[in-house]
Amino acid sequence: MVQRGAYERYVNRFGWFCVAPSVLFFSVFMAYPILSSLYYVTRRWKGMSNTFIGLGNFVRMARDNVFQAALTHNFIFMIIQVPIMIFLALLLAVLLNQGIRRFRGALRLAIFLPSVTSLVVVSVLFRVLLQTNGFLNNVLLSGHLISSPIGWLNDAFWAKVTIIMAITWRWTGYNMVFFLVGLQSLDTQIFEAAEVDGASKVRQFFTITVPLLVPIILFSAVTSTSGTMQLIDEPNILTFQGGPANETMTAALYIYRQAFYVNFDFGYATAMSYVVVIISGILAFIQLRLLGGERSAK
Amino acid sequence: MTVVNKWSPGHVIMWLVLLVCAAVSVFPFYWMLNGTTLNPNDVLRGLLVPGGDFVSNWRQATTTYNLPLFFTNSLLIALITVLFGVVINAMAAFGFEKYRSRARDRVFGILLLTLILPQIAIVVPLFRLFSFLHLLNTRAAIVLPSIMSVFIIFFLRQNFKLFPTEIMEAARVDGASELSILVRIVAPSMRASFASAAIYMFIAQWNSYLWPLITILKDTMKTLPIAMSSIMNAYTIQYGALMVIVCVSTLPVLILFLTMQKQFVAGLLGSVK
Amino acid sequence: MKKGLVTALALVLFLALVPAVFAQQKITVWCWDPNFNVYAMKQAAIVYNKTHADVTIEVVDMAQDIEAKISAGLQAGGAGLPDIALFQDFRIEQFIHDYPDAFVDLKAAGIDYSKFAAYKVGPMTVGSKIYGIPFDTGSTGLWLRTDYLKTAGLNPDNYAGKNMKWSDVVKLGVAVKAKTGKPLLAYQSDNFDMLRIVVQSTGGQFFKPDGSLNLRSEAFEKSIGLFKELNDKGLLYSVVGWSDWINAINSDQSAGFLNAIWMVGTVKSRPENAGKYMIVPTPLIEGVKGASNASNNGGSSWYVFSSSPNKALAVDFLKSVWATATPDTLAFYNTILKGAGAMGTFLPSQSGSNYTARDEFFYKSQPVFKDFATWMAKVPVLKYTPNYQPMRDAVAHAVLKYFQGKLTSVDDTIAAAEAEYKQVMGQ
Repeated sequence: MVQRGAYERYVNRFGWFCVAPSVLFFSVFMAYPILSSLYYVTRRWKGMSNTFIGLGNFVRMARDNVFQAALTHNFIFMIIQVPIMIFLALLLAVLLNQGIRRFRGALRLAIFLPSVTSLVVVSVLFRVLLQTNGFLNNVLLSGHLISSPIGWLNDAFWAKVTIIMAITWRWTGYNMVFFLVGLQSLDTQIFEAAEVDGASKVRQFFTITVPLLVPIILFSAVTSTSGTMQLIDEPNILTFQGGPANETMTAALYIYRQAFYVNFDFGYATAMSYVVVIISGILAFIQLRLLGGERSAK
Repeated sequence: MTVVNKWSPGHVIMWLVLLVCAAVSVFPFYWMLNGTTLNPNDVLRGLLVPGGDFVSNWRQATTTYNLPLFFTNSLLIALITVLFGVVINAMAAFGFEKYRSRARDRVFGILLLTLILPQIAIVVPLFRLFSFLHLLNTRAAIVLPSIMSVFIIFFLRQNFKLFPTEIMEAARVDGASELSILVRIVAPSMRASFASAAIYMFIAQWNSYLWPLITILKDTMKTLPIAMSSIMNAYTIQYGALMVIVCVSTLPVLILFLTMQKQFVAGLLGSVK
Repeated sequence: MKKGLVTALALVLFLALVPAVFAQQKITVWCWDPNFNVYAMKQAAIVYNKTHADVTIEVVDMAQDIEAKISAGLQAGGAGLPDIALFQDFRIEQFIHDYPDAFVDLKAAGIDYSKFAAYKVGPMTVGSKIYGIPFDTGSTGLWLRTDYLKTAGLNPDNYAGKNMKWSDVVKLGVAVKAKTGKPLLAYQSDNFDMLRIVVQSTGGQFFKPDGSLNLRSEAFEKSIGLFKELNDKGLLYSVVGWSDWINAINSDQSAGFLNAIWMVGTVKSRPENAGKYMIVPTPLIEGVKGASNASNNGGSSWYVFSSSPNKALAVDFLKSVWATATPDTLAFYNTILKGAGAMGTFLPSQSGSNYTARDEFFYKSQPVFKDFATWMAKVPVLKYTPNYQPMRDAVAHAVLKYFQGKLTSVDDTIAAAEAEYKQVMGQ
């Protein structure tokens, strides 16, 4: 195909030329921080000085209930929110794609709309809507669905529900579009055949649609899981910095606060972020194995 | 396609689910727009009918809260990021896809690994780096780390896959240099993909929160998300003006998306496959 | 096209990196609370501009971001920092401790500290260096809405100036709630200031003289018990977040609150409050030795950053307006007292007319500042230490859990607070 020698080298050089700027940026703003984090992880930072403490940061983590609670919250959000959202997104995609014929575009747009908002906007909107004397409580009270206002923002249980609601509202439409795209590439003949065989819509959904969409479900699951592990905007703004009393504190928020708010202990923050990275890696790996293994050859 | 009985229970439930979800999705937008016309107490209460306070809210947002400054900051930063980002990431994607080599594949593999790296893991060293370079509290600090995006490179690579290499070969036979092939033949036909990438990067940078939160120290550098976050921490929150800022922050993205829907979805389609 | 890219690149780098070239004569001040500190500083600027018309003094309201931004700036070697910043007295020790060279030694710059209240100078002193200009006092009182008292059939005059015990206040609160439905006190549940006011009024300390945590004191236990009682009897209107607390007060959700003199500005910012508020001495917890009817919440001081390019000018500004007694500066202190309740700790200023005058904004023109000044003299001094903030958060969280029934005894609450404090401090 290509001639050997000078021309080949020229082409190869051009390949590097194309790739070089991004690799440069990567080295400075990604690789260098990752490598230099090794310096921070073994130190305790206080004000302008730092001391070497070996694995002290990890020992401290083992005793740090707040950090452990934060990780637990990440898991709670992940285990509850991700499946609910994926199921809902999938359901909506199927309904839009195969269930109805009119107003498809409008409904799709409506449900996708939340995805154009920033997480800050989501937090701000929900925080104002869910005040003790705010809109949602007013509606529920006047509809006689509850007898006293729900502390959406200051009750340990409901605050977590609030976060889950906010995330679900924001991301369901986004994932739904991915599923829609996937559905449109499916061969309709399979469904017609199943219909002829007498399979109900529900049965078709579970035995045909879902398995065929596994690659996209995997993509959604991995990105959503990674998202819940990195949760920081919502607990910071919506529930007042992980409140009430650290009940919605997440790992990323705690790290941020340790590094830039409470103690400026960069060492401890870096050590905690190592733990978060390792957990994220393990989760991604597990998901790839579980769901990826069933993929048919592309 | 199958024929469904119009008013079967299944059909009704289906419509109900869709309508409820659509309503819940859209409601906060209506509420946010309506809020710009109400006084702070009514915003909190959640009045659904428009009020007459739009002008005063707008004035408060633009003077007390300095909305134009934040908007300009956000816009400038997002545009610069997109300008550099699309060029650099597109070049990289092109290089990785059309100039395969073992070494480059390995490099790409390393880049891919960082996709699951949470941002929080690198903010501390990045902060210290920019502090050392005396670049804290500058737009450069926000723009520079966002220019290279592995996700965009991956996305564009998928799209470059669909570009027929034979055309490149033909041009090479004609004696064209590699650079001119990229600029004159490949790039023009990839416009749709670049547009998608540009939109995606713009939205990501426009809405970016954590890193600007860390690097912005003074009011004059604030972007819209940071400004909103600060307002939520203030002594008294002027909810009406806040709603104006929220709307201004959301509308560009909304308009961008509405006008570019087709490209956006086409791009997603390409990357998923 | 390449050329265009290069020029674009250069333009961009220029735009992004060019540091703002400030006008020479400008001082930037960071503080918070538009009705109080910002107002006071702006008044000071007016005085200074009389003799230095070419100096621009920019006062920025940083709200609750201020300490985080200052910390970030200090970490970055001074990047983005203002010339002058306001620090709460209970926070400054941590900053001085962590960043020894961050502030300008004002004693060396010629400030005469004998003219300031001694208890304010303590936290800002390290050895022979003194770093700040003391500003306001946080003398506290119990603020009551006389209109709700009247609706409940009580005569406000019976309570004016009365040194009450908390048990009296509880009875009052129950009566008011029964007839008006309003809880007596607006309470910010994620903040422990109100608890701290009560503890301090008993003379209790959160830290032992050696700096270690001291939560197992009778004062603390009784205080928590009191709050639980207030909560259980429905006398607390709970909100989350500072702005919502202010909002609750100014939208009539509660019949009063427990806080310091610096709330005057906020209360006066709402015209409907006129004539309705009466301030009585801080109630005391009975049965604890050393308890008094006075307490302190907050109080801040001004500091100059060493990294400031205009520090000489900043020091001159602070010295000539805040630390020197002239007819203009004394008039200034007098103005901010009435306008915002800013009771300075600059001793010569305490002869100002407003210190004894009656203030028509309050119920029956109560001479509120005279009262606050009297109470201020009785405030037991609180030991802060650099670790005050984490202790504060730990206690606030534990108490909230106690209220919500997650912790069932005062003992558990204290243990939880101690545990969280240790974890956050890494001990």
